[in-house]
Amino acid sequence: MSKASFFQPQTIALHSGYQPESDHGSRAVPIYQTTSYAFQDVAHGAALFNVERGGHIYSRMTNPTVQVLEQRLAALEGGVGCVCTASGMSALMTTFATLCSAGDHIVSAAQIYGSTATLLRSTLKRFGIDTTFVDVNDTAAVKKAIKRNTRLVMCESIGNPGLDIADIPTLAGICNDKHVPLVVDATFATPALNNPIAHGAHIVVHSLTKWIGGAGNALGGAIIDGGNFDWGKVKDKFPTLTDPYAPFHGISFYEEFGPSALSSRIRAESMRDFGAALSPQNAFLLLQGLESLALRMPQHVENAESLAQWLLEHEAVAWVNHPSLKSHPNHHLVESLFPKGAGSILSFGVKGGRAAGAALMDGLQLATNLANVGDSRTLVLHPASTTHSRLDAAAMEAAGIKEDLIRVSVGIESFRDIKNDFSNGLRAAQRVVKAAGGTAPAARAVKKPVAGKSAAKKTVVKEATSKKTLTKKLAKKKAVGKAAAKKKVSAKKAGR
Amino acid sequence: MRLKVKGSETYVATGGKPFDASLPTLVFLHGSGLDHRTWALQTRWFAFRGWSVVAPDLPGHSLSRGRPLTSIEKMADWTWHLLDALGVTNASLIGHSQGALVALEAAARQSERSTSLSLIATGGAIPVNPQLLDTAKTNRPAAVDAMLTWGFGESYQFGKSDVPGQAPLAIGNRIMCANPLEIDLQACQNYTNGENAANKVSCPTQLILALNDRMTPLKAGRQLATQLPNVKNVAEIDAGHMLPIEAPENCLNELRNFITALD
Repeated sequence: MSKASFFQPQTIALHSGYQPESDHGSRAVPIYQTTSYAFQDVAHGAALFNVERGGHIYSRMTNPTVQVLEQRLAALEGGVGCVCTASGMSALMTTFATLCSAGDHIVSAAQIYGSTATLLRSTLKRFGIDTTFVDVNDTAAVKKAIKRNTRLVMCESIGNPGLDIADIPTLAGICNDKHVPLVVDATFATPALNNPIAHGAHIVVHSLTKWIGGAGNALGGAIIDGGNFDWGKVKDKFPTLTDPYAPFHGISFYEEFGPSALSSRIRAESMRDFGAALSPQNAFLLLQGLESLALRMPQHVENAESLAQWLLEHEAVAWVNHPSLKSHPNHHLVESLFPKGAGSILSFGVKGGRAAGAALMDGLQLATNLANVGDSRTLVLHPASTTHSRLDAAAMEAAGIKEDLIRVSVGIESFRDIKNDFSNGLRAAQRVVKAAGGTAPAARAVKKPVAGKSAAKKTVVKEATSKKTLTKKLAKKKAVGKAAAKKKVSAKKAGR
Repeated sequence: MRLKVKGSETYVATGGKPFDASLPTLVFLHGSGLDHRTWALQTRWFAFRGWSVVAPDLPGHSLSRGRPLTSIEKMADWTWHLLDALGVTNASLIGHSQGALVALEAAARQSERSTSLSLIATGGAIPVNPQLLDTAKTNRPAAVDAMLTWGFGESYQFGKSDVPGQAPLAIGNRIMCANPLEIDLQACQNYTNGENAANKVSCPTQLILALNDRMTPLKAGRQLATQLPNVKNVAEIDAGHMLPIEAPENCLNELRNFITALD
């Protein structure tokens, strides 16, 4: 149960933060398309500016339509407050900038979204904030990476696009021991599938653009303040929250706002100074999505799990990755952390490597090739050449991204139609393999650069090994019976 | 601001202005399991307009150290010790719920030092449901849930917040789960001196009551009003028990009208 509401999540998504207003009785949340708000008199304006009264001043800081979305997200995640921003990336940047200053340090999971990695690796470094990347579930590495000047640990509850599941309770335990907050980007999970704060996380970030919006028509981000981190426990460790803040008459956010110190500081400083405000139009569109999230997510999950199983058994597929598969390295965490399913992103590789994968993607008609996830429609992407193309080879490997990885954001269309679309795409991939004489076109492609030769050889060897393994399996198949053998081959294919 | 009261470090919110004993002083006393944040939307207004504001965390609550006090009478005495430590002779006492019982008892004990009395969402006694008391002793989070359910009125149950983006129920949950709620509730349950104390209060008094109060029934507040000798105003606001948070503007307006009218 949420700590911010006694309603169930489906009810929160529809009702929290707004009851029909008195003037017109609008049942839908109105769009307050306004930049600013009239003061009753000079004293009223002064009181608002001095945080003596609650209310709205200017839509860069707060807006009534955006506020409804914030109230609902805070309640759905069990937080003490929420600040919505213009995008998921601005939500992350705002969180980092609120907790860190020059000379501070962040520990981040290596298995994260490419732009987040770039923000941490390059952009924040320019402002004197360093990041150490570690395997998200290598607890020893996480512990070791936390230093005296570490101000937060960052991970994604389901990594993009490698789909590593973060063991949030374990990470939260480490963070509590070291007294640093755990920031979880829960975009891939949404509040419908997992609530990180309930598992010990301290701050949750969402890109609302994805499943919460669901229609692919509005950008937005959110920061949910768990209110469960004692910012004042270690003196001088989080000065942005505990020290007097001159622009607000020396206010200490920790003393003044207690559990909601972080979200109050973000509102007072980051929204004012950085200006990454969510527009009321977008808030309205995102609210429409949020209202049906609890209905959509089960369909997303069901289709993703069905597609993963179907791909697993397809002869043209080299490997499939989804946390619902037993072969997934973090499958053991799904039951406890994602009892309603571990999201609707899956990734897979096609036999024949990158060229075959490209043929598959170009052969799809229903699924759209674009750089987004979480649309109600099925989407595909090749991360190595797009979202993660700015990462070097080592960072790609650390993020668990293979050259042939195709990311699928499975939509809520009829599963029959999704399956038929991928069936057509895989036929196109098979034609490429066949035209290349049964060898892997991708392997030949990477022979081009000199440095790539050894890699290409390795790839060919790996492919050959795979073929040998497959031949053995097929022989065994005859021996032990068709059905049983098929199951084992499928399981082998599922390995990443 | 932090200071020692009877040997224990005590946190006192001053509304964003340094405390100045030469100014008329207002003391804001919080309810069971809560702390100074109850008064976030009242204290700053006064602090920036010529009053000195004192909104303490009771001993053992939130930012104050020390052992929690076990009776309303001890809390009343402690309030005067706090004011002694601050060098304050006279003060207006403002209390919410349990804090109102403390203010009432404090005003009765040192009538000559009490400039005025503002009692919010209270009666002369706050008997506690025995089941709630037992639950608080054995399972504090469950008791907190029950109190938040009864304490906040309809609009706040529907996620309303006067401060955009904040979740008052969740904030209340975090604060109350960390504080000695069961000791506070037992102190309320044990307090039986309300009527006697009311008869001893001589300073101007106001009551701000909640029409939809499910923690301290409206009739209890109305009855208390009849027992106080110098009641200037009784306001009844359409909200639940958590008036300073649920109806901050109304609550501030009532306090402001009453306090600014004092000589």
